[in-house]
Amino acid sequence: MSVDSRNPLEAVSLSNTRLRTIALYAGLYGTAVLFLIPYWYMFATSFMTRDLVYAEVPYMIPWDVTLYWYEYLLTNSLIVQWTINTFILAAITTAVVILIDAMIAYSLTRLEWAGRRVIFAVIVASFMVPGIVNLVPVYIIVSELGLVNSVWGVVLPSAANPLGVFMLVQFFKDIPEELEEAARLDGFSRLRIFSHIVLPLMRSALAALGLFIFIWTWNAFVWPLLIFQDDAMYTLPIGLVTLQDNLGVTEPGIIMTSAVIASIPLLIVFLVMQKHLVRAVEMQGTTK
Amino acid sequence: MAHSTQQSDSSGDDSGLRDRSDSSVSELVAGLSFAVPYLIIAGLFLFGPLLLALYMSFHDWNALDPGQSQFIGLENYRILLGDPDFWNALWNTVYFVILTVPPIVIGSLLLALGVNRDVKGKWLLRTIFFSPYVLTVAVVGLLWTEVFSASGLIPYYVGGGNWLNDHTLAMPALAIATVWWQLAFNFIILLAARQNVPDRLYEAAKLDGASTWRMMRDITIPQMQNPLIFVVIVTFVGSFQVFGQPFIMTDGGPSFETTTIVLYLYDTAFTGREFGYAAAVGYVLFMILIAVSATSYYFLSGDKR
Repeated sequence: MSVDSRNPLEAVSLSNTRLRTIALYAGLYGTAVLFLIPYWYMFATSFMTRDLVYAEVPYMIPWDVTLYWYEYLLTNSLIVQWTINTFILAAITTAVVILIDAMIAYSLTRLEWAGRRVIFAVIVASFMVPGIVNLVPVYIIVSELGLVNSVWGVVLPSAANPLGVFMLVQFFKDIPEELEEAARLDGFSRLRIFSHIVLPLMRSALAALGLFIFIWTWNAFVWPLLIFQDDAMYTLPIGLVTLQDNLGVTEPGIIMTSAVIASIPLLIVFLVMQKHLVRAVEMQGTTK
Repeated sequence: MAHSTQQSDSSGDDSGLRDRSDSSVSELVAGLSFAVPYLIIAGLFLFGPLLLALYMSFHDWNALDPGQSQFIGLENYRILLGDPDFWNALWNTVYFVILTVPPIVIGSLLLALGVNRDVKGKWLLRTIFFSPYVLTVAVVGLLWTEVFSASGLIPYYVGGGNWLNDHTLAMPALAIATVWWQLAFNFIILLAARQNVPDRLYEAAKLDGASTWRMMRDITIPQMQNPLIFVVIVTFVGSFQVFGQPFIMTDGGPSFETTTIVLYLYDTAFTGREFGYAAAVGYVLFMILIAVSATSYYFLSGDKR
């Protein structure tokens, strides 16, 4: 904030402006430090020796460093298996959601058929259904289909994502019609137009949606908890929580270390893809 | 549809009309075939269950043999309204909503407006405030369980023993963890919304000598009205459905003081096996959420019309 460019009247309140600037910085950076403390505590604890972890004082600096907890978790738990499971589950869900959401969004925006407006209205209305109303009946349907303890028992209930349809419809509307017309004159089939022209054009919108679905599935809690009954099938979130229960007593070193292992992959994705993720979240805010 | 009439009008003669009707059949076939995977899955896992839940809520549902379920009309709803555990869970949820929604909405608004200012290290601040967005509720729950535990940071510096075992402090502890976790999404939405407010509005106001507070009240807030309504409703609906935090951090305790409505629903369904009753609880929650969303929408956008 350059003070000199202001008009003379405001110069009177110069100290006021400076005070405000100080308050602004203190507020923002103070809050930022408060935000970071839990992360720091988690990382620091994961490297502390047992003596430090169990000390009366909650130490913030691991001045006696050990990798014991990491070794313990990697050799005594299924945490690597859970990470692989979570990755597979998130990848399958992302692919399925993108495919079927993109197909119906294409159909609703680019093809002219009776009834599409009604269907779109119903999809928009289905945003309003809180997932929790469907908890019991979907569980019954999933178990009737024999999908309990199977990856598909988690993938299918989240495969039809109304938010994704709505986001993609906004983007598909903007594809110039001439491109499609030209392709049709060249004798391209609908399917070919969809897969060779529309999807490549929408790459960035699909990537944003995909990133969002991936993170969302990676972190899913309720469905994996209900569906997976065999600890070799668990996803990371479920594995972590059972780890705490199985230990009986709480072992802060193990818990914090498992939390670090579970959050590192996504925090890296976050730092690398932050721009796209911000866009995906903004898309939700503007489309919903 | 307006589009298709235009097309047939412009192509005048009979053959054109025939073409049109041929192609509209093929358009319908093509349209439906692209829509059908979504429609089947949504029917099976979204709309179907919604009807099934309603049907179940009128039955004394037999979890082992659904064929033996008995129609009992509104009995589940009647029992529910006289069930102190339901009211306890509902009250706990409302308390949690009160503890979380205002700090999340106001906090994310203040941070978004602050970061939008000409401060150094904007990108760093944005990254920090947004980062909890990618954490799973399991990590958030476990992390904060340690922070609130007897030998954790908060009891040591703030006082109060293990917050999660304390009758008055357990719910505030869940709320603090939730605010830290859920601020991120709203922060990004509001930051984007603030950046969409045209600068010329502020320039004009500055020429008129308007104060910061005045600009906030007369420009920022009205210009951001729709995103703010969105944030309020999404936060309301999210907090009303809180599950992971009490499930992981307190298991509904101490003495059911953090048993929220979804935790209660989950327990009646999957521990108690009372599926019909749980479906009724789900429907009541659904009605409450619709009412809350409609009311907040009405109050937040009402004066504009």
